[in-house]
Amino acid sequence: MKRSFKDDFNMMAMLLIPIAVAVNLVGFQLANVLRLPIFLDTIGTIIVGVIAGPWVALLTGLITNLINGIFNPVYFPYALTSIAIGVGAGYLSKYGFFKSVPKTIISGIIITFIAVIVSAPITVFVFGGVTGNTSSLITAAFLASGQELWSAVFSSSFITEVADKVVSVLIVYFIVKAMSDRYLSKMNYGDLYMKRNNRK
Amino acid sequence: MKQNILLQLHPMTKFYFTLFIFAVVLISPGYIFSFAIFPILILIAMLAGVAKEFLNIVIKALVTVLIFIFIMQMFFYPGENVLWEWGIFEIKQEGIKYGLLLTSRILAIGSAFILFFRMTEVRDFVKSLEDIGLPPMGAYVVLSTLQIIPEMRRQANTIMEAQKTRGVETEGSIFVRAKAFIPTLTPLILSSIAGTEERAITLESRAFSAPVKKTSLHQLSKSNMDRALPIVFALVVIGLIVWRFFL
Repeated sequence: MKRSFKDDFNMMAMLLIPIAVAVNLVGFQLANVLRLPIFLDTIGTIIVGVIAGPWVALLTGLITNLINGIFNPVYFPYALTSIAIGVGAGYLSKYGFFKSVPKTIISGIIITFIAVIVSAPITVFVFGGVTGNTSSLITAAFLASGQELWSAVFSSSFITEVADKVVSVLIVYFIVKAMSDRYLSKMNYGDLYMKRNNRK
Repeated sequence: MKQNILLQLHPMTKFYFTLFIFAVVLISPGYIFSFAIFPILILIAMLAGVAKEFLNIVIKALVTVLIFIFIMQMFFYPGENVLWEWGIFEIKQEGIKYGLLLTSRILAIGSAFILFFRMTEVRDFVKSLEDIGLPPMGAYVVLSTLQIIPEMRRQANTIMEAQKTRGVETEGSIFVRAKAFIPTLTPLILSSIAGTEERAITLESRAFSAPVKKTSLHQLSKSNMDRALPIVFALVVIGLIVWRFFL
């Protein structure tokens, strides 16, 4: 199917953005309340990528970080990471990567790589290697054991991200599965996930 | 509050000021200058009557990060002049210098953004962006996001309480706690997306996506000050660039 850039931004997709941004924030808050060791703060962005495509997800990621940035400017540079995650999830969805559990796990790992590759340079150039979260402690431990700054930042953020992203994409997989055909039919990539397809 | 000249500036003027600080900090050499900006920002916050919230957020958002960054640079920045040593930990002069430079810049730029959002209502800022070409749809998305977040937080709490009543465990081992996540988030998302259809109908019944010029109830005006200040900022930045790189 060939789609133009503009077709992605229909009314229903745009109205999904505020909800997805709120899901990102609420997911993070819930993970905190339940004292989970992962962030789960990109679920909304990934959902949008899966059912509404990469460009709408790009906007979702951007707005999430801008709104987080109002209260904590440390989030501003990481808008690039959110954008990359959204676009990545969108393209993975386009090529059918969210259709089964094994494929979803693979896309979770791909998204982890995207997130790490985009966020590590930001961490190194803007913040000199640490930003004061859990992965900073691991970075410090790697550095103390004599690793180079770049490899320390890469490996520590990979360790903290991989569980987070794989769990996030699995949650997204189950939520998209639970969405009604009626709603999915209105989203640009929704037809990929409609239950009707499974019936012969 | 209403008479405050600083708060009454056009949002774009305040935004240009934030960008101005950003540029000044990146151009200026050394950390003393960047650290000097922070007291200036506090002064502006006091004049605008937002000093308390401003300092609160700066402390909450930036101070731990800055301490972390400084300690890291102190120990791990490559350098020759070791000042103090204990086992594998060495404090180097270069590290302290780079740490001060990095933290001074993050402090200045970060607090400039915090100050901007303390002095500007997001609604006004979005409106001013709309005036310079942001599509009305974009403005709607940003504003309704701000509205939806507290609403969905409340809803998430309600759902979690309801699931607890049903017997979903939210205490105990990490695995048990993790299992509580999905029964909370799934209903939240599914019920929220069910509402988007109504929103779409409401917006369309007001011809929201009609390709015509929209009239807004909310208007912003520019004073002479708002016209003059951006030019002043631009001149200072150009002056600084010339001084730093050509003299």
